[in-house]
Amino acid sequence: MIGLWDTTGNEVVKALAAERRSAGGVASGLALTLVAVVEEKKVREAEAAATIAASAHPCRLLVVVRSDLEGRSRLDAEIVVGGRLGPAEAVVMRMYGRLALHAESVVMPLLAPDVPVVTWWHGEPPDVIANDFLGVVADRRITDSKLAPDPVAALRQRAVDYAPGDTDLTWTRITLWRTLVAGAFDTTEERVTGATVVAPADDPTAALMCGWLKSRLGIEPKWEYTDKTPRMHSVQLGCANGDCVTVTREEGTALFSRTGQEPRYMPLPKRPVGDELAEELRRLDPDQIYGEALGAMAGLPNLEQKPPMRVHVWKDPALAARAGEEAGAMAGPGGSAV
Amino acid sequence: MGNPLRTAQDRRLPRIPEPCALVIFGVTGDLSRKKLIPAVYDLANRGLLPPGFVVLGFARRDWGDGDFESLAYEAAKKGARTPWREDVWQRLASQFQFVPGSFDDDAAFDSLASTLDELRERNGIAGNAAFYFSIPPAAFPLVLNQLNRTGMADNAKSGGWRRVVVEKPFGNDLKTAMALNKLVDEVFTPEDVFRIDHYLGKETVQNILALRFANSLFEPVWNSKYVDSVQITMAEDVGIGTRAAFYDSAGAARDVLQNHLLQLLALVGMEEPTSFDPNEIRAEKLKVLRAISLPKDIGAGSVRGQYLPGWVAGERAAGYLEEKGVPADSTTETYVAVRLGIQNRRWAGVPFFVRVGKRMPRRVTEIAILFKRAPHLPFDPADVEMLGNNQLVIRVQPDEGVVLKFGSKVPGTTMEVRDIAMDFQYGEAFTESSPEAYERLVLDVLVGDRTLFPDAAEVEQSWRVIDPLEEAWTGTKPEPYRAGEWGPRASDEMLALEGRAWRRA
Repeated sequence: MIGLWDTTGNEVVKALAAERRSAGGVASGLALTLVAVVEEKKVREAEAAATIAASAHPCRLLVVVRSDLEGRSRLDAEIVVGGRLGPAEAVVMRMYGRLALHAESVVMPLLAPDVPVVTWWHGEPPDVIANDFLGVVADRRITDSKLAPDPVAALRQRAVDYAPGDTDLTWTRITLWRTLVAGAFDTTEERVTGATVVAPADDPTAALMCGWLKSRLGIEPKWEYTDKTPRMHSVQLGCANGDCVTVTREEGTALFSRTGQEPRYMPLPKRPVGDELAEELRRLDPDQIYGEALGAMAGLPNLEQKPPMRVHVWKDPALAARAGEEAGAMAGPGGSAV
Repeated sequence: MGNPLRTAQDRRLPRIPEPCALVIFGVTGDLSRKKLIPAVYDLANRGLLPPGFVVLGFARRDWGDGDFESLAYEAAKKGARTPWREDVWQRLASQFQFVPGSFDDDAAFDSLASTLDELRERNGIAGNAAFYFSIPPAAFPLVLNQLNRTGMADNAKSGGWRRVVVEKPFGNDLKTAMALNKLVDEVFTPEDVFRIDHYLGKETVQNILALRFANSLFEPVWNSKYVDSVQITMAEDVGIGTRAAFYDSAGAARDVLQNHLLQLLALVGMEEPTSFDPNEIRAEKLKVLRAISLPKDIGAGSVRGQYLPGWVAGERAAGYLEEKGVPADSTTETYVAVRLGIQNRRWAGVPFFVRVGKRMPRRVTEIAILFKRAPHLPFDPADVEMLGNNQLVIRVQPDEGVVLKFGSKVPGTTMEVRDIAMDFQYGEAFTESSPEAYERLVLDVLVGDRTLFPDAAEVEQSWRVIDPLEEAWTGTKPEPYRAGEWGPRASDEMLALEGRAWRRA
């Protein structure tokens, strides 16, 4: 491991090359570059997740921590090859001051040549991905609406801001649910006529589940709010002949019941973020099914036809803040600016 | 109309079999304990088994369900590759049932049949069942007749699919293989017979197809114009263990050359299939197997060996003749090297050197494509002394991966060229999450995907390669080699005669 304080992008590139050389043959077969955008207190968590994901998909991991935008521009970097971060070669970069707004100037030369770039925001996702150059340069973008103050609204914003190649970890979290529900209809030709999802009102996974069922089955699923469970509790599908299939979560397992059959328990574990990330990294092309489900959830059709490439839109938080102050001052005492 | 919740684009959703039962004959045996039961647990843990999945164990023991459960528990816990989760096991174990009985016991099979019928109602498995034959081949006819008698093998009568899984050996020669195939195909329908060659379940083996047919880089040089020779090696550091009875009657050629090695050869040598449909792949594999030619003089083009006492990996190893259960005058081979050819336009004149052996220095299976030397080298001969054939090596196990070996300039002020190896390891990348071969194959059986299973024609064709060899070898004695060596010297000499040498694997 090499630590570099108050350094430059060029020094980081040189140090990474030196670490790779001295580590010997560890770094072979890079599948992608993973850029993780995190805040300071989540760095360890993100590293742990990326380590799990990297064991399935060999990658170069670039962790970007941006903080203290008001302060002096400064770059600190830590380079780890084949150490505590598993098989990944990793650079953890902390950027302060105006440099933080130009993180790409440090990140771009570190991207592994000609392999896909995946940007993952482990924290509140940006409102508009085009404002973050680290998202514009990526072939795949992974957000996590769960970490936003209002997860369902954040997920809707993902639909508004969608471009093919985006996914949200909310979607990854319902893969096991979807597997169980889809499996129920492998052996029957019955048409599904109605669906009920029982979940808390602020559960984004339930919103996506409804969106998925709507987009696949053309029905209008009912979302029954509950505050008894912290996460999605059950999904029930009714068939034309009156049969019913219900999947209910019970502590790491799912109770699978179907009219006329004994109920069965199936595994439904809560996976660590690293496993979810690994699932995302399996696919580097746009997930159309997600696009359709997200569109159906937000009521925005044809999301998949949006252009996959974004154009960077410069947004300076300092300017925005100043404009905010001025607008606030204009509104007079007690006034507020929208 | 199909399942509206599934589309081909939704690749996150795994393939999950229809509700079904897995019936294991010989459930207390080695294979079942080491591979099958752990594979079933891993599948359950990954959530890849359907609701209502049942395991029925059949074996000749006076046991209650509880004894069987504790045996299965030990086996699963020891062999599982995914993390151990007690609740997953408990649920799976609650669906385990043990049916005691011997294979000639009509009552036991009647009770098996009625158990399956009960399950149809209770578990909603609609009569779907796979029968796994983890038993000695001698017992096959007995069990098949029982299944036939009780109607358990009949798709129509059971109202679902009934499949059968057979392990190698698929017979002992062409005649016995054909008899066995005929018997199995009569009791079950040919599409419902799954012959397990666990090598085909390995990631790297499947990757041979991806490497060859997904890239444009390798296919143009994959022919006799550029390839000098191909070496396929399967070396084991272990001896015959407790398999003396079977092994001494079979030998290395029947044990692994007939199945694993010829399958690898077929995958390396085959033409591009029209599509990845199981039938298309089998058709191409069969064509290559048919084109295999044996050396004109089998005595000169093949070497048999038998290991003497020696040292392997720092431990003393007994010689083959001293192994328990092996007759002192046995002429069974534990090593075979043979020079095969493939008679078609792509491979005419390219020798395929295939070798297998026990008690070799280390465990390794690999396929090495050795390319021809450059037609002209504009260097001083002294500078390229260390330059060998370019090689592409597909390492099947361990450390699954691909190595490319080519010449490169030695850094310095002189123009000196030597071989370097560029090594790509899957190991770091994929093994952690990639399923063990048995897991994959058991899932394929339950889903009904036949891509990775050789069919009767392939098995019979492989015997047509082995039988003449065995015939020529009768009455000859294998060459001795010391345990811990790369086979008998005669094998090195066989290659040296034509100016070639074995790659040190």
